[in-house]
Amino acid sequence: MNGAYRTGVIVLVGLAVLTLIEYFLAQAGGLMVPLMLVAVFKAALILEYFMHFSHLWSEEGGAE
Amino acid sequence: MSQLAHVHQEEMSYARRLRLNRWGLWMFLVSESFMFAGLFAARFYLWGNTRPELDQTLGLVLTSILLVSSFFMNRAEVAISQGHRKEFLRSLLVTFFLGAAFLVGVVGFEWGLFLPEGPHIRPSDGAFGAVLYGMTGMHAFHVLTGLIFILVVWNLGRKGGFSPERYWGVEACAVYWHFVDLVWVFFYPALYLIGEVAKLH
Repeated sequence: MNGAYRTGVIVLVGLAVLTLIEYFLAQAGGLMVPLMLVAVFKAALILEYFMHFSHLWSEEGGAE
Repeated sequence: MSQLAHVHQEEMSYARRLRLNRWGLWMFLVSESFMFAGLFAARFYLWGNTRPELDQTLGLVLTSILLVSSFFMNRAEVAISQGHRKEFLRSLLVTFFLGAAFLVGVVGFEWGLFLPEGPHIRPSDGAFGAVLYGMTGMHAFHVLTGLIFILVVWNLGRKGGFSPERYWGVEACAVYWHFVDLVWVFFYPALYLIGEVAKLH
């Protein structure tokens, strides 16, 4: 598996772990601030690694 | 003009067009974000620190399906960028079916269309019903348009419409699909996790 594919797997694992943390945080009381913090971390992962937000300022085309 | 200069100019023009396309798409997504942010704010204004009793397992499963679909969409994009056409088409199809499963889960089970007893919460159930159906409905509509987008890109890809050098259509579809996932990343805790369960009836 090359680097670009591997990055996708790592991001998926990160998102899965954060989703499970969210789920258990909710069972422990469902406080807004920690749950929103986890959501922001998940959003940052998606924005940077899946949506290539930083590519907006690059000249090149393509995903990786 | 020599042929080499012509090819160079065309490449420059494509790179410029690609950059403009990317900015255009992101501007569109920012405008969409305002609409979703409005729904998100309405949830906190109307529900406060409460939430309706929703099926936690269903919420977790739907969220997982959408996250895995984003993974396969990313895989499709990486595959076309490296010229792996079969893997690209396969990953795109997997994304489509996962997205369709999410849609069926929301409409069929959260909205109760497939449940013999009907929905647990109806759109007419005051603020809870209005916000729940407003948020999931608007998101489901975007999932539906994303699925249509994926089918169009898959069909173009099947006919050889993309290459490792030029695949803006795939990139646009991927960014749109990830945006739909991104919205759910905030909607999931807002609908299913935050606050105490309120009694409806």
